[in-house]
Amino acid sequence: SHIVLMLADDMACNPRNPKPATVFSHKNMELNVYGDDVEVDYRSYEVTVENFLRVLTGRIPPSTPRSKRLLSDDRSNILIYMTGSHGGNGFLKFQDSEEITNVELADAFEQMWQKRRYNELLFIIDTCQGASMYERFYSPNIMALASSQVGEDSLSHQPDLEIGVHLMDRYTFYVLEFLEEIHPASQTNMNDLFQVCPKSLCVSTPGHRTDLFQRDSQNVLITDFFGSVRKVEITTETISLDRDLAGFESKLPKDELATEPLKYAEQLPVAQIIHQKPKQKDWHPPGGFILGLWALIIMVFFKTYGIKHMKHIF
Amino acid sequence: MAAPLVLVVLVAVTVRAALYRSSLAAFISERVEVASPLNAWKRVVEGLALLDLGVSPYSGAIFHETPLIIYLFHFLIEYAELVFMITDLLTALALYLAIQDFNKVVFKKQKLLIELDKYAPDVAELIRTPMEMHYIPLKVALFYLLNPYTVMSCVAKSTCAINNTIIAFFVLATIKGSAFLSAVFLALATYQSLYPLTLFAPALLYLLQRQFIPIKLKSKSFWLYTMQYAALYLCSLVVIICLSFFLLNSWDFIPSVYGFILSVPDLTPNIGLFWYFFAEMFEHFSLFFVCVFQINVFFYTIPLAIKLKDHPMFFMFVQLAIISIFKSYPTVGDVALYMAFLPVWNHLYRFLRNIFILSCVLIVCSLLFPVLWHLWIYAGSANSNFYYAITLTFNIGQILLVSDYFYAFLRREYYLTHGLHLTRQDGTEAMLVLK
Repeated sequence: SHIVLMLADDMACNPRNPKPATVFSHKNMELNVYGDDVEVDYRSYEVTVENFLRVLTGRIPPSTPRSKRLLSDDRSNILIYMTGSHGGNGFLKFQDSEEITNVELADAFEQMWQKRRYNELLFIIDTCQGASMYERFYSPNIMALASSQVGEDSLSHQPDLEIGVHLMDRYTFYVLEFLEEIHPASQTNMNDLFQVCPKSLCVSTPGHRTDLFQRDSQNVLITDFFGSVRKVEITTETISLDRDLAGFESKLPKDELATEPLKYAEQLPVAQIIHQKPKQKDWHPPGGFILGLWALIIMVFFKTYGIKHMKHIF
Repeated sequence: MAAPLVLVVLVAVTVRAALYRSSLAAFISERVEVASPLNAWKRVVEGLALLDLGVSPYSGAIFHETPLIIYLFHFLIEYAELVFMITDLLTALALYLAIQDFNKVVFKKQKLLIELDKYAPDVAELIRTPMEMHYIPLKVALFYLLNPYTVMSCVAKSTCAINNTIIAFFVLATIKGSAFLSAVFLALATYQSLYPLTLFAPALLYLLQRQFIPIKLKSKSFWLYTMQYAALYLCSLVVIICLSFFLLNSWDFIPSVYGFILSVPDLTPNIGLFWYFFAEMFEHFSLFFVCVFQINVFFYTIPLAIKLKDHPMFFMFVQLAIISIFKSYPTVGDVALYMAFLPVWNHLYRFLRNIFILSCVLIVCSLLFPVLWHLWIYAGSANSNFYYAITLTFNIGQILLVSDYFYAFLRREYYLTHGLHLTRQDGTEAMLVLK
C-alpha cells in the first residue's frame, strides 16, 4: 500500500505538546495515532491546494521522490480522507490562506478518471458542511462520505484539559473506533460504515453518496479501501496468457465485481485537436459605408474645385 | 522655396525611418507622454483584431478611436509606418502653404494700414518686411517636422498625427478662404477629438475678415455669414457621424469616443492635469470636477474672441495651445502642433520677457519625464507626486509661453498705434503691463 500523508500543522512535535511525539485519540491515552511508523510526506507549508491537486492528477515535477507521488494505476482503489481545517459550503480551507472548492476537486477526480488513475475511489471528509464537497462529483466509481450536511457544523469530541485542545473530531473518533475492529479478513461492508456516528453521537448528520459507484454499497467491503487487502487467487492450473482472454475470465470464480465491463471516458479525439479551427472570416466595412464615404469625398472635391472638372473626367 | 523644403522633408523622413528600425521604437511607443488611451497605436491594433474576431471593438474599454480611423487602418495596417510618415509630411506641407498665404495677407493688411496712416510715426522698426518674412513658411515646416515631439509621436504611431493633419488642413482651408472646406475639415477634427470645436470661433472671425464683413452684433450680414458657416459645420458633422453609424451599424462609438473624452474614466498618468486630480478625488465630487475641468477648456474662447477679434490667426494659435494644455488626454503630439506656429510670430521676440526661462523649463521637464517615471514605477523610490510635479511644471511652462506671446503680441499692437516711446500724461516714460 502507499500512503501520502499531508499534515499542515505539526501537533506531535509542537513545542507546546506536553506529550511530545504523540497524538492521542482520547484523553485516556489508549491509542497513539501518531505511532512509530507515521511518515509525513507533505508537511507544513508544502500542504497547499496546488500540491494536493498535483498529487492527485500526477502533474508533479520530475524531481519529486516516489514517496510523495500517488503512483496509482487503473486497478488501484484510492482512499482520500480530508479533515481538520475549516470548511464551508463548497470549499475547504487550506493553511488559512487558500481554499479548494468542490468544483476543483470534482474536476481533479475527472482528470484522474480520464487518465485511468483509479479503479474505485472512496472520499471521506470531516469538516463543517462536508457534504457540499462531494455534491459536484461527476466521475464514475466514486463513493463519498461526509461528517455533516450542508448548513451543519462538525463538532469535536472532547478536550484534553492537560493539553488544552480538543483531541479529535467526533466523526473521526467514531470512525476510528469502528475501524479499529476491522481486520484484513473482515466482511463488513460500506453500509456499516454509513451507520457510524449517528446524529445522537455526532450531533451533525453524516452523509454519503453512492450514486456514482457502480457496485451496490452493500457488496463493497471496507477492506477494498482500508488495510491494503489485495485480491489474490491461488490456483494450481497453468494459464496460458494469450490474446483471447474470454476463456480466462470464465475460469475466475464469480465474485462481487460487476459483470459489465467498466468504461473509461472517451479520450479526447485527436483528430479534433489537430484539426485547426476554421479561420474566422475577416471583417470588411459594409459596402454602403464605403460608397457613402467616397461619394461625400467626391462631392466635397467637386464643390471646392468646381463642376467643370467633371467634363474632363467623364 | 521648394528645394529647401524638399531637403527638410528628406531629413525628416530619414530621421523617422532610422528611428523606426532602431530598438527605440518599442520604447517610445510605450511612453505615456506620447501615447494616451485615446490615440495609442496598440489600441488601434487591438480594435482591429477584435473586429476580425467578430466582436465590436467598442465593447470593451480599450478602443476609443472613431470609425473612420477603423476604416482607414483596416486597409492600411501593413503600411502603418508609411501612413504616419505621410501624415506628418502632409501636415508640414499644409502648414507651409497656409503660412505662405497668411504672410501675404499680413503684408497686404500692413500696407493698407500704413497707407491709411493708422500707425504712429516712430514705429518703423516694428514694420515687417517681405525679406524677413520670406523664410517663415520654411521655418514652420522645419519646426513641425524636426521637432523631437513630432518625431516621437510619429515613431510611436500615435493617431494624434492624423488629428494634427486634419487641423493643419483646416487652417489651410481657412486661410485660403474656402468656408466649405474649412467647415468640413473642422467637422472631421471635432469628430475625432472633441476639442477643435473651439476653433470654430477663430475660423469664423478670419473668414468674416476676409469677406470684409464687419463684426458688429447688430449687422445682418454678420449673422447671415455666421449662420451659413455654422450650418455648414454642423451639417458636415452630422453627416460624418451618421456615416460612421453605417460602419458597424451601431451607435456604440459615441459613448466610447465622446463619452470617454468627456468623462475621463481612464486615469493613466500623462502630461495633462486630469489624472492626478481624479485619482485622489472622492466619487461624490468627481462629476462636479469633471464638468469644471471640461468647461475650463471651452471657457477661454469667448473672452479671447472679444479681445483678439482683429487678429484671428493669433487667436487660432492661442486656442490651439489652450486645447493642447487643457484637454483631457494631452500628448506631446498636440504640443508639437502649436509649437509649429511659433516662427510666425518671431517678430515678437524683442517683447518676449520670459522666453529663456520658459524654454529651459520646457526642455528640462521633457527630459525629466522619463526619469521620474522610471523612479516612480520601476525603482519605487519616488511616487506619483514627483511625476505630477513635473507635469504641473510642464503645463505651467506652456501656459506661461502662451501668455508671454499674448502679451508680446498685444504690446506690439499697442506700440504700432501709439508709438514706441510711450509717455504718461505728465511726460514721464510709461510701461505697458498686461492686466
